[in-house]
Parts: sequence; C-alpha cells; structure tokens
Amino acid sequence: MSSLPSWTSSVLDLGVFAVLALLAMAFSLLVVEHRSLVYSAFFLALLGLVNASFIATLGFTVIALFHVAVYVGASVLFMIFSVTMFRGGPVVERRTMVLALAVIPMFSLALSAVFLTFQGTPVPGVEVSYMALSKLIVEKYWLPLLIFVVAMATTMMQAIVLTRKEVGRR
Amino acid sequence: MMTIYAYLLVSAAMFGIGTYGLVSKRNMLRMLLSAEVMFNAALLALISLAAPGFPDPGGVLALLAIGLGVADVGVVVSLAVLMMQLKGEVDVYELSKFKE
Repeated sequence: MSSLPSWTSSVLDLGVFAVLALLAMAFSLLVVEHRSLVYSAFFLALLGLVNASFIATLGFTVIALFHVAVYVGASVLFMIFSVTMFRGGPVVERRTMVLALAVIPMFSLALSAVFLTFQGTPVPGVEVSYMALSKLIVEKYWLPLLIFVVAMATTMMQAIVLTRKEVGRR
Repeated sequence: MMTIYAYLLVSAAMFGIGTYGLVSKRNMLRMLLSAEVMFNAALLALISLAAPGFPDPGGVLALLAIGLGVADVGVVVSLAVLMMQLKGEVDVYELSKFKE
C-alpha cells in the first residue's frame, strides 16, 4: 500500500468506510424490521461483523477479534438457536408507531449535534496490543474485572434458574 | 481524510434505528434485538471517542462492555423462555400479569 499515492489511499479508506456505513444502516433496519425473528438475529450477527470491521479500522484489532469471537460467535448464535424455538408472528405497537418513527431522526440529529465537537478530529493510527490490554486489566482495572466476573457468574445462575423453573407447580 | 465524526454519525444513526425498534415493538425478543443494535452503536461511539486520546482504557472498557452485553442476552432470552412456558407468547404487555 506504501507504493500507492496518498490520495489513492484516502479514496480507498473513504470507499471502505462508505460501504461499511451503508451495510451497518441496512443491517440495523433489517434487524428491527424483518418479519422473521431468526433472520433478524442472523442480521444482528452480520451487524456485529460490520461493527467489528469499524473497530478494526480504528486500530483496535484485538477488540474487533474479541467482538467477533464473543459477541457474534457466542451471543448472537445463542440467540439464533433460542429464537428458533419460539413461534408466533411479530407484535407491533401501533399506538407508538408515529413516535417511534420520529425517534430515528430525533436521536440521530441530537447525537450528531453532541458529537459536533469531534468534526475535525482525524482518525489516529493507534494499535492496541493484546499484551498491553491484559496487563492494564490485571494491574490497574482489577476491581472492574472482579465485578464483571461476579456479574457474569450471577447472570449464569439466574439464567439457569429461570429456564429450569417448573411451570404449574406453586 | 476520515475523521472520528464520520464514525460517530454512523453510531448516532444506528442508535436511532435501535430506539425506533425498542419503542415500536411489543415482542420481547424483537425488543432485545433492537437493544442489541443500540449496544453496537454505543460500542462504536465508545471506541471512536477513545481512539484519539486514551486508547488503552477505552479498550478495557470496550472489552468489559462486550462481556456485559453478552450477559444481558442470556438473562433476557431465559426470561423469554420462561414467559413462553407460562403464557405461550412473548408479548411484553403480558409481563404485568406475572404478579401474583
């Protein structure tokens, strides 16, 4: 890539970003609006992959891999397998439909205005290493890690208790 | 040249779409999927904002956030399984009738 002129690199970056942004918007809409829940969960997995690509282009390759492995690989696949067990069509709340449609431009514009201070900030060429992150977590952020581990353990217990609850016995 | 603002704009639009889904749907799993879209938007905003100034703490926060995002999926799906067993549907309006 170093042999290419700088404007070519910029155009390539812009093209990749534009494609990823379009895919992110399309997959977000499909997650929310697709008739089938299974396909919605599948599109969420694709949205996770696009998001991981965004994260990787920002220089956080380790986080992107973690996102793909843990979020897309475990969470969304778990959701797809669970959703296939459910039946019934989508239930739409008609009374709030107008408000819900107004929410999209409202939130997008409000957040864009909030983020306006970062308008000229270029994307830095950061490279976060796995070694640096793990060292930082163990040495400096051990308390959040401890809370996180406890939260995960209690979540697992809660999920098992809820799903094993016997129906009909009072 | 790409700027951080472009990433934040995408994140804002994704957040708006996720909020639309959360407000307009009554199916618990559909609401969970919409909340996951919002989670992805928030994660992208977090990473984008962390990139210029403090990448390492931002990376740690992102790792913990992804883990907690997975945990909430586990809880909500198990609630949906329980609700399906009890009521035979996943309409959130039926949740209020769980009170005994």
